Amino acid sequence: MTKVYSIALNTFRESIRQKLLCVSLVFGGIFLASTYVLSPLAVGAREKIMTDVGLAAISILGVLTAVLVGSTLVHKEVEKRAVFMVLTRPVPRYQYLLGKFAGIVAAIVLMITVMAGLMAATVALGRGFLRPAMFAAVYLSTLEVAVICAVVIFFSTFTTPILTSFFTLCLFAAGSLSNDLRVFAEKFGGSFMKIAMEVFYYILPNLRVFNLRHEAVHDLHFSISDLFMATVYAAAYCSVLLFFAHLVFRRREFS
Amino acid sequence: MDVLRVEDVSKSFRGDMSFRSREVLHGVSFSVGVGEILGFLGPNGAGKTTTIKIILGLLRPDGGHVEIFGNLISDRSVMSHVGFLPETPYFFPHLSLREFLSFCGRMSGMHGGPLPGRIEQVAAMVGLQGRLGQRLKGFSKGMIQRAGLAQAILHDPELLILDEPFSGLDPLGRIMVRDILVDLRARGKTIFFSSHILPDMEVLCNRTCIIRDGRIVRTVSLDELIRMGGGAVEVTARGCSETCFEKIDRYIESKTISGEEVFLVVGEQRNVREVIRHISASDAEIIRVASQHLSLENIFLNEVKPPAIPEVMRSNREKPTPVRS
Repeated sequence: MTKVYSIALNTFRESIRQKLLCVSLVFGGIFLASTYVLSPLAVGAREKIMTDVGLAAISILGVLTAVLVGSTLVHKEVEKRAVFMVLTRPVPRYQYLLGKFAGIVAAIVLMITVMAGLMAATVALGRGFLRPAMFAAVYLSTLEVAVICAVVIFFSTFTTPILTSFFTLCLFAAGSLSNDLRVFAEKFGGSFMKIAMEVFYYILPNLRVFNLRHEAVHDLHFSISDLFMATVYAAAYCSVLLFFAHLVFRRREFS
Repeated sequence: MDVLRVEDVSKSFRGDMSFRSREVLHGVSFSVGVGEILGFLGPNGAGKTTTIKIILGLLRPDGGHVEIFGNLISDRSVMSHVGFLPETPYFFPHLSLREFLSFCGRMSGMHGGPLPGRIEQVAAMVGLQGRLGQRLKGFSKGMIQRAGLAQAILHDPELLILDEPFSGLDPLGRIMVRDILVDLRARGKTIFFSSHILPDMEVLCNRTCIIRDGRIVRTVSLDELIRMGGGAVEVTARGCSETCFEKIDRYIESKTISGEEVFLVVGEQRNVREVIRHISASDAEIIRVASQHLSLENIFLNEVKPPAIPEVMRSNREKPTPVRS
């Protein structure tokens, strides 16, 4: 575990010292500040607007940053041969992948935490209430980003940063819509379409389980067991993806 | 026991857009004993780096196997006894040298207590003690090479594998690396390194393996190298008179005069005493007496035939310089 921790710490340092993370954070800060300035235009719904836009910004920027940072980190280390510094030592390859995953997730969690703090400050400044559902939504966004990081790690073990980013964003879009597509196929599709959508529904990550924005915005009740199940689902999905990434990476040659 | 044993290793690569594979190693075999320095010599593309990558488990051989301390390299725990310096190293530019060495130490299984002290020690050994807080992205090529050597020796490995350790170093850096390697040899460490710098290899290595087109074509030991010289001795003297030359002529194989100095090659060791006696008896001064041996360069050039100079270049070279009127 010490080695996984060291690789994760190294990855975390690299991520937070990259300009990309800072740019994302600045962009997120500007976005959140703009909701404070513009929300008075929505009379009576100021708090809802700030929460909704804030949570959406956290989710989208978190995913985009995870894709951009994650897709380049592993590939660059392989391409520049910095990976030799780890793989020529008594470190199993799965530990390298676990460390990379943990480091990227830690960096994105830091970014999300800062953005959540900014969002909370914006809502508080707008004389709104900080509701538990808001923090639960941020927590689920963090789980969503962890799943996306696992997807990025999986693709980056065998393809280029551009393709990794493309595949991951496709998977993100499909994962966000998989439930809708399944319902659509059940209502309007033929038997092949139904089966195909059913298969996709179970293979693709169901990112809807990480979306609690509606409850947070409208101050609706949410269940702790849903949070727990979402946590288990994210852990299971990440484990499976990292296992497949390991299967690819352990056979990989570095010429 | 052999520290490193490479047994009948072969490897081929397939091109990105081709189904035909190109064999780059053909049954490469050699071994390195305890406390030995083995040089790995060959022209570009001969298969040196591929062999090193197979030894380290970065590439899988098509055939044959590699053992380190009697264990197959699939057992990764053996790598805790190995230090590696890659050719043209690229390290994590966002880290300071201290953070980088700390990371490498932890990857090799070093923990807390002795690690900071050891980092200071190796940084001083490679002349980077004042740079520990500096980020690697600000390092020059030579400094990166030194940092690479520092990480390779940080965990005090029994076997060092160095791919072009002298690359990118200035003369002082080269001497420093050479001294470190000599010191490591004195401490019983085993070193396997590839280099193009033949004089350094000649000074450092107990044996040298020459690889060409993926095949080991020759292994030369230091003793063998000295024996190949045939026992000739070079004598350099100043101010020899004609009378002196007449007396020593029958003992010498060749004589080259350059100004006041004369360079003599004495064919047999037993005649050296006579030559020195005659020179000393005259008013001449003996500057240097050295045993002549065949250089590694001679052997290398003999084994690895240099490519012929293209006809166009040769004709240009032979063309007389035009004389201005």
